[in-house]
Amino acid sequence: MSRDFPFLASIFGRHEFIIRRIHSLIGLVPIGGFLCFHLATNASILDGREMFQTRVDIIHRLGPSTLFVLEWGTIFLPMLFHGLIGMIIVTRGKRNLILYPYGENWRYTLQRWTGGIAMAFILYHVFQMHGWIRLPWWIEHVAKPFGGAVFVPETATDSVAHVLHSSTVILAIYVVGVLSAVYHLANGLWTMGITWGVWTTPHSQRWANIPCALFGIGLLVVGWGALFGFLTIK
Amino acid sequence: MLKTITQKPDSFLVRILRQDGPGKKSYWQRFRVPYEADMNAISVLQKIAEIATTVEGEKVAPVVWECNCLEEVCGACTMLIGGRVRQACTALVDHLLADNPAEIELRPMTKFPVIRDLLVNRSRIFASLEKIKAWVPVDSYLDMGSGLRQSQEVQQLAYQYSKCMSCGCCMEACPQFLKIELVRKPGETEDRFRAREHTANMRSFMGAHAIAQVELFNTNPIGAMTAFERLEALTAEGGIQTCGNAQNCVKVCPKDIPLTTAIGREGRAATIHMLRKWFDR
Repeated sequence: MSRDFPFLASIFGRHEFIIRRIHSLIGLVPIGGFLCFHLATNASILDGREMFQTRVDIIHRLGPSTLFVLEWGTIFLPMLFHGLIGMIIVTRGKRNLILYPYGENWRYTLQRWTGGIAMAFILYHVFQMHGWIRLPWWIEHVAKPFGGAVFVPETATDSVAHVLHSSTVILAIYVVGVLSAVYHLANGLWTMGITWGVWTTPHSQRWANIPCALFGIGLLVVGWGALFGFLTIK
Repeated sequence: MLKTITQKPDSFLVRILRQDGPGKKSYWQRFRVPYEADMNAISVLQKIAEIATTVEGEKVAPVVWECNCLEEVCGACTMLIGGRVRQACTALVDHLLADNPAEIELRPMTKFPVIRDLLVNRSRIFASLEKIKAWVPVDSYLDMGSGLRQSQEVQQLAYQYSKCMSCGCCMEACPQFLKIELVRKPGETEDRFRAREHTANMRSFMGAHAIAQVELFNTNPIGAMTAFERLEALTAEGGIQTCGNAQNCVKVCPKDIPLTTAIGREGRAATIHMLRKWFDR
């Protein structure tokens, strides 16, 4: 970045501390919080198609204006910021796992890989389900022709199940996408604890692995459980 | 327990990555060195300086390297030995040959600009210490009496951090610490070039060693009086935020300094410093 955009690199460099702390914080709130809420909502399919429809109805009862503000204010914009800054962070490091194959270096490297995969997946997933921009002309002329905006709130279960049943490749993308997002959040929680100074010694950092890993495994069960739930829908 | 050889060879091969000057192309050269008892990488380099002939029989300029203390407390002879960053003085030939009987490989560190052969420009390490004010300000003509008392616990921790010899291992292994190598512009004086290099060094990532030195000097009762300035430097450009928690630093540190503990504690200090600056002024 410093070679191609010296001006941007200079701004990023001078304000890196505050940018990185905001990046770290919004990874947890609202993005991490939203991921938990989102996967838990989806997993309600395990209680049957009516239950999932009820949960979707509760959300959509808020009305399009409120949903627009919530979507962009607490989900899309924070995610775009987190993703953009994340990409800058990735370009400003040089991975060296081959030379130093230590456990934490694996996690450092995976954190960057899963961040990239999760970002690509979320862009794809949001386009496919939501269409990115809920303007009629965009939905009609851009999103729908390219196979996006397929989620229908009124027939929520069927529209999601249709996507996941359509091909093994799409299902695989969802399986990997959910895994990447969950790893990135669970491991990010652990590194966040170091960055902000919650767990500081090797001893406490080892112990902190346990709640972070349990959280990650739990969230993965919920996320994959949702996918499994939709696969069992006829 | 380190592996060691059982069969002593008559001689062994040494492969060295050489470079004739800053910015020049690097190239490998191999030397055959007669085996002697209790050799280390430094005595190997001394032998090569004496031989100055490659295995192909070519007469070459002696290999340039740096060393001082020969007891792993100065950090000057840090280089990549068999791909591992460490001090040449404590790299014993018997152990190196046990790991790889075919040859011993010596390379300069990859994160610092090469001056010549195995000698690198480590001015960036010094610049980062300058930036965080890695000293206790006791400059005075007056007798200020004895220093403030320190608890045993603080002393024990300070001793750990004070073992740092600024060797560069933690920076060499760090995926967030990138090499900075400036090229002297045509017509640029030496002074101007050094000034430009210094500015670039001060703005670049300080590395784990400097973060640990902030911890050392901010826990010192007198050093703590200027803690604010060090925390300002720590959260400025190239500060602690660049750390990505890969934690390679603590694993390669030859002095076993608790670098990640310092990063965690200084991360906390930086958080509090940020909140103080926002809400306490």
